[in-house]
Amino acid sequence: MTKTAHTNADGAAVRLTGLRKSFGPVQAVAGVDLHIAPGEVVALLGPNGAGKSTTVDMLLGLSNPDAGDVRIFGHGPRKAIGDGLVGAMLQDAALLDDATVAESVALVAALHRKPMPVAEALAAAGVTDLAARRCSKLSGGQKQRVRFAMALVADPDLLVLDEPTVAMDVETRRDFWQTMHKTRRTVLFATHYLDEAEQFADRVVLMREGRVIADGSVADIRAHVTGRRLTAVVDAPDTARLAALPGVTDVEVRGNAITLNCADSDLAVRALLTADATARDIEITAMSLEDAFLALTTEGATR
Amino acid sequence: MNAQYLLLECRRIMRSGRFLIFSMVMPAVLFVLLVGMYGGNNSTYEDGSSVAAAMMVSMGAFGAMSAALSTGARVAVERGSGWQRQLRLTPMSPASYLYTKLIVAMLVAIPSIALVSILGATVEGVTLSAGGWLMATAGLWLGAIPFAALGLLIGLSIPADSLPSVMGLSSMVLGMLGGMWIPAQIAPDWLSAIMKATPSYWFTQLGQSALYDNKNLLTAIAVLAAYTVAAGLLSARRFVTSAQRA
Repeated sequence: MTKTAHTNADGAAVRLTGLRKSFGPVQAVAGVDLHIAPGEVVALLGPNGAGKSTTVDMLLGLSNPDAGDVRIFGHGPRKAIGDGLVGAMLQDAALLDDATVAESVALVAALHRKPMPVAEALAAAGVTDLAARRCSKLSGGQKQRVRFAMALVADPDLLVLDEPTVAMDVETRRDFWQTMHKTRRTVLFATHYLDEAEQFADRVVLMREGRVIADGSVADIRAHVTGRRLTAVVDAPDTARLAALPGVTDVEVRGNAITLNCADSDLAVRALLTADATARDIEITAMSLEDAFLALTTEGATR
Repeated sequence: MNAQYLLLECRRIMRSGRFLIFSMVMPAVLFVLLVGMYGGNNSTYEDGSSVAAAMMVSMGAFGAMSAALSTGARVAVERGSGWQRQLRLTPMSPASYLYTKLIVAMLVAIPSIALVSILGATVEGVTLSAGGWLMATAGLWLGAIPFAALGLLIGLSIPADSLPSVMGLSSMVLGMLGGMWIPAQIAPDWLSAIMKATPSYWFTQLGQSALYDNKNLLTAIAVLAAYTVAAGLLSARRFVTSAQRA
């Protein structure tokens, strides 16, 4: 049951328009436009300093943009939070050391007008058995789950999660995402883990130097780096000769190991085997999201 | 204002045993000790007024002031840890947050006044008129409001790790300059001019209205009210600007 009680006039859950923010001479966010439809799960990716956290802060009204506009279901961020439309989990938002898990979640519930039952939020975040524990006695991963319970208890239409699975072990991460998907809400999450974006997001938004540089499905983003990668071992590799092979766009040589980025790997592998009888251990793989990420975030950095 | 938030804040204060005992027991112990040093229950100053009564309002005031000040300043910890950021993600208004903190600070100021007054009435044999007792208890308590607001302002202005030293220093300096330890009458002119600029001096004046007909009472109320308004406005501004930077 995707919640659709509130919508922008244009039907968007989130609409960021021309968002800009500078800190002194540093332009952290340099014009971000983003439109998220209700029910979408969107991953926000980018290297450190790309402007992800600043964008999230402005989305949540924790910092004011220098220019541009934030609309959440048609409202400004303060109003949307006041109406309980947004639940958020921030990296640097702490818990109260001297309060218990149940007290903390119950407090957030009490501050909202239409919360879900506290027990339900605790169960959904998998922290029911920690309810009576003081927050100072939690591990890093447990703290993250308590923060998730606090974001969830408002029963929000939009969840904003900044690095939600940091400090979680592999199993906890998987459980977390399973829970996430069961909630069926609009979700925007920032992450460093590409596999999370790949597995759990409907859509990936890639930021670099304060701008959105790519926006689309995982498949769309991958298509930015076309072709395949061919690795092999050859005796005495000659970079210039390898680069001249048909279908090859880029060559990397490390000792006897060669990596060829290929526009047409079929053509390239035939040419390689003909040209060099020593070629062996050949593997051809598709470019990963990580390759796309690296290609997109580093290209032009030297321009 | 949210009742459940206030309740949780009260519970958290009750859990900080050391802090509570320190703010409650210290003024009471000092009171008994100082009266003993001045020669016990029935000793009087040269003008014939009771030492025990004067010490009772002084230490009651000191206790209430330090309790209100240091409880208010605890917001520094929540600012440093990011809890304030978490609260900004809820519909609670910044004003509710600050009011709740003020109320908690005022609640913590009650036990020290109560304990010192009970000791005064029983062990130290202090006798006051009904109006005098009202002033020595409820009057002193209300007079602690500006210190709760000042504590808040300090807590919003300094980093959490310098909290203990700043709090210790400011209650001591305010206590000294306020004439809670030594009577303002014996201070040289230049010092007494400085003393009259502090809120604690006027807080002491308020307390002394419990003992005799103090012509400074209205001035004291006016100065304390002015400090409350100033500290309140500055706190609100600090809270908003620190939110912007975060």
